[in-house]
Amino acid sequence: MLLELKNIKKQFKNNHVLKGIDLSVEKGEVIAIIGPSGSGKTTLLRNINFLETADSGSMLFREQQIDLAKPTKKQILWARRHMAMVFQNYNLFKNKTALKNISEGLVFGQNKSKTEADELACQALDQVGLLGKKDFYPSQLSGGQQQRIGIARATVLNPDIVLFDEPTSALDPELVGTVLHDMKTLADKGQTMIVVTHQMSFARNVASRVAFFSDGEILEEGRSDEIFDHPQHERTQQFLSAIAEDY
Amino acid sequence: MKLSKVIISLLHGLPTTLILLAFSFIFANLIGLGLAWLYLRRNPIANGFARGYLGLVRGTPPLLMLLLAYYGLPKLFLLVGIDINGWAKLIFGIAGLAIGWSAYLAEAFRSAYLSVDAGQYEAALVVGMDTKQAFLRIIMPQAFLIALPNIENLLIGLVKATSLVYVIGIVDMYSTAVDLSNQNQGVYQLEIFVILALIYWVVVLLIEWGFRRFRKHYQYVTV
Ligand SMILES: Nc1ncnc2c1ncn2[C@@H]1O[C@H](COP(=O)(O)OP(=O)(O)OP(=O)(O)O)[C@@H](O)[C@H]1O
Ligand SMILES: [Mg+2]
Repeated sequence: MLLELKNIKKQFKNNHVLKGIDLSVEKGEVIAIIGPSGSGKTTLLRNINFLETADSGSMLFREQQIDLAKPTKKQILWARRHMAMVFQNYNLFKNKTALKNISEGLVFGQNKSKTEADELACQALDQVGLLGKKDFYPSQLSGGQQQRIGIARATVLNPDIVLFDEPTSALDPELVGTVLHDMKTLADKGQTMIVVTHQMSFARNVASRVAFFSDGEILEEGRSDEIFDHPQHERTQQFLSAIAEDY
Repeated sequence: MKLSKVIISLLHGLPTTLILLAFSFIFANLIGLGLAWLYLRRNPIANGFARGYLGLVRGTPPLLMLLLAYYGLPKLFLLVGIDINGWAKLIFGIAGLAIGWSAYLAEAFRSAYLSVDAGQYEAALVVGMDTKQAFLRIIMPQAFLIALPNIENLLIGLVKATSLVYVIGIVDMYSTAVDLSNQNQGVYQLEIFVILALIYWVVVLLIEWGFRRFRKHYQYVTV
């Protein structure tokens, strides 16, 4: 087991956003998290990499046990340096070129030399066909290009797991395909990932398992064909039929 | 007296004006950075001190600030047993202007810091930077660019404020002009002040040019 989450709870004021989440991820798995808006999907990802601190719960990651409510600074840094995240609105560093966006984490997160980092960043850009844009700033790139660089920035770090938070939701429809293509390539290479998504075709065809979130709980979880073809819960059925036109 | 002589005597005051400008601006920035940092602390003492300083200083006219620095600082230093009465007036001029402008700069820094997109900081953390690296490499450069228009305006305001140091008897460009005008019993009076205005204008133009070049260099960094 690469990652095991146990009983994660999180509330904002009186709003119970996560009501005890358990989730296990094997190496090489692609987990899709689907569910209605406000059900706590983003919050779960942010608790895993400590952008938020859970009220309770634990995480077993690479055989290290971490109390999510009381992580030490060292544990936080260690965990983050073995994970990566891709944001819905890309969050590329606005003051860095495409190349530096990718190499920065190698230099400052992994102590690589600048030359080595730039070389790896060039390779990563080349793989997504954006080497020609290496000296462009984010403002000079399309949303699709920014997100593909966002993915390159995450994967160049060779993380054990990549967390995706609706990576295509902010994109124009015609740009979604290229980003999903990059993600599928990654999945085929065996990259472990947790993907929060509204792209049902991706969840169905690429993910090995799907977890359906509702109201701070995982209502249903299983192989993607099971969830899509035979959803057990009424809420899951409703959700899937409401967005049926998507897939 | 010839007009060329007028120009030459006015220009003799220019170095003093520029020294005042440069040093008070540098110190104002340093104090301003410290204040912004204190203001952003959650520690109530640090935060309270910064708020108090900002409130007091922003409510004091620059002219009065110069007088307070000139008469007040020596008293303040005497309290801790240091006699600075003999220090050059220029130092008090620099101190008065720096204290006055530090408050505005602190506000510019603080608001710029707060308006950097929170996602930038989070992105820095998730690629493995620690909080200090995230601040120095991602947040600070962006905050600086956001603050730049304010900094430019404050610097230009400071150019004009340097003329106020006549109240503590510093001979800069402005007080040279006033002296000239008095000595000449009204001859060339208008010309003297027009030339003075032109010199200030050139200084401001140069500043604007510098900032423009800087902005151009970072035109694609839209923060
Ligand atoms: N920092 C915060 N402070 C207060 N409330 C928050 C915060 N972050 C999230 N919430 C609340 O937690 C709930 C879950 O939010 P979350 O963003 O996790 O939902 P989501 O499932 O990702 O939704 P979406 O599909 O719209 O992205 C929402 O009610 C939201 O208002
Ligand atoms: Mg979300």
